[in-house]
Amino acid sequence: MESAICVRGLVNRFGSNVVHDGLSMDVEHGEVIAIIGGSGTGKSVLIRSILGLHRVTSGTIRVLGREIRYHQPGPERNWGVLFQTGALLSALTVQENVELPIAIHSDMPADTRAELALLKIRMAGLPVSAAAKYPSELSGGMVKRAALARALALEPRILFLDEPTAGLDPIGATEFDQLIAYLKASLDLTVVMITHDLDSVFDVCDRVAVLVDGKVVVGPTEQVAAFDHPWIRRYFNDPRALKARGKAADG
Amino acid sequence: MSSAYLETAAAHGALTVSLKNDWVFGNVGPLRRALSGVDPGDSRRITFQCGGLEDIDIAGAWVLFKRSQELRARGLETDFQGFKAAHFKYLQNITEVRDAAELAAEARSPAANRRSVRAIESLGKAATTAFEDVGAISRAVIDGVKRPSALMWRETIRQIDLTGVRAIPIVVLVSFLMGLVLAYQGATQLERFGATIFMVDLVTISILREMGVLMAAIMVAGRSGSSFAASLGVMKLNEEIDALRVIGLNPNQVLIVPRVIALVVALPVLTIVANLAGLAGGLVLATVAIDMSAIQFIERVKTAAELESLLVGLIKAPVFALLIAAVSTLRGMQVQYSAEQLGKLTTVAVVQSIFLIIVADGIFTVIFVRYGI
Repeated sequence: MESAICVRGLVNRFGSNVVHDGLSMDVEHGEVIAIIGGSGTGKSVLIRSILGLHRVTSGTIRVLGREIRYHQPGPERNWGVLFQTGALLSALTVQENVELPIAIHSDMPADTRAELALLKIRMAGLPVSAAAKYPSELSGGMVKRAALARALALEPRILFLDEPTAGLDPIGATEFDQLIAYLKASLDLTVVMITHDLDSVFDVCDRVAVLVDGKVVVGPTEQVAAFDHPWIRRYFNDPRALKARGKAADG
Repeated sequence: MSSAYLETAAAHGALTVSLKNDWVFGNVGPLRRALSGVDPGDSRRITFQCGGLEDIDIAGAWVLFKRSQELRARGLETDFQGFKAAHFKYLQNITEVRDAAELAAEARSPAANRRSVRAIESLGKAATTAFEDVGAISRAVIDGVKRPSALMWRETIRQIDLTGVRAIPIVVLVSFLMGLVLAYQGATQLERFGATIFMVDLVTISILREMGVLMAAIMVAGRSGSSFAASLGVMKLNEEIDALRVIGLNPNQVLIVPRVIALVVALPVLTIVANLAGLAGGLVLATVAIDMSAIQFIERVKTAAELESLLVGLIKAPVFALLIAAVSTLRGMQVQYSAEQLGKLTTVAVVQSIFLIIVADGIFTVIFVRYGI
């Protein structure tokens, strides 16, 4: 079976600035993969390319066997995306935000739709009382959870997370990591996440993809950590990284 | 009974429902229909046999779970059998989050307030906000005037360019067309009395006293009023306004006062431009469409145009400018939550600006007529 996501020979150039230079990678079904890299190495551009939100300079991308083209219909039914700032529609309540994708992609009766949406809101760890609120009435952590509920609305097979724990307090971040691990285990999700959170990398992820020099180094965390590249060495031998690794090893 | 998704078999007072195929999100509609077709008859016990399932997800499991709850509520026993481990965790997920329908009922707010109470409330709110609005804008202006800073003047000049200089082409075009229309209408009506020449008086006086300044003000309200409200609103949403405050800049001073001053300076100038363009429109029509020479037109304008008419138009300009600037900056600063609110307040800014311009113009006219100006 083909990998969940296949990227082949991806090139992205902004003027003379080459962000991706023939990048190829695969994401396997059912794994949690972290995309890491320094600022400006094109983590977001990579995700946006995979989602068909960015016009790639060249290269092919296939998600669940479907070729992705810029701004063309793709596997919307089978993926869910958690944007960095949540990107909840501010004119709609949390409940309506979660119901929207269901309403677009299914003809189920309204009451079933409402129940399913509420189920997803509960699964994302929000109290029922949050359902009737507008995004502007929620705290940062709750916005993330509400956005996750929307990402899960269509029973996706792939979940994209753009810095899911950024801006959360350590307790919230740990809870969010646990939530992702739990959802992944119980829903057979494939998860692709951009993260700067070393704890997430070591606790939740099966593999990491490091973007360096326009290419990608992919592999199990420990294997990539041993890779001989100045940035990767610095990243994984940073005191914070060592602490996170130690914690993960203890846990 | 059998369908694409289930088969039923009754034996010894027990009903076995064998599930098959894909119980997934995309099939929720047919699944619900298939399940509601399950008739327990005189069976006391229903067993859902799940071994034959191809695939199940939360949506499918939810429909199944909900139907079993319904049957339980009717006093029947229900039971799930033969779940593959992978399938079972979906159902566990659902039993763990309790009955979502129950939760939905819980989420519903207590009885809505009575309508009369709400009406009185909103009346009170409207009255207090009107007071607050006036207070906020006066405070902003006083703030700015008290301690003007260098930054303020730079922003003022930038705003004069944006709201004044760049508005010239559109104001010229609109006023020119207005002059054209006035001249044409005037000429066709007055021709019947053989008084075509008085068309020039009509155009001159109406442009100078009313139409020039009104056209300029309405164009500025549409252009700059919306832009003030939208740009300040986005700055508010991005916390840029807060950022200014914490670095010790007063947003009233660096954002609002420059815009107010800019419009007060720009609108009178735009009014003069509009007056000239309007008269040019009249002149073009007179020479092209009716039998009048340019010299004749200009000579007649000279006698018809009094300094008084020009001043009557010009004196309104700064007042209109103040109204536009005050309303639209205030609405921009009131944006708080969302993109939708930003859109709403931008609309309000433009509509209220134009409304206030017309009302103010009416008041001016009454005053001028009273005192015979």
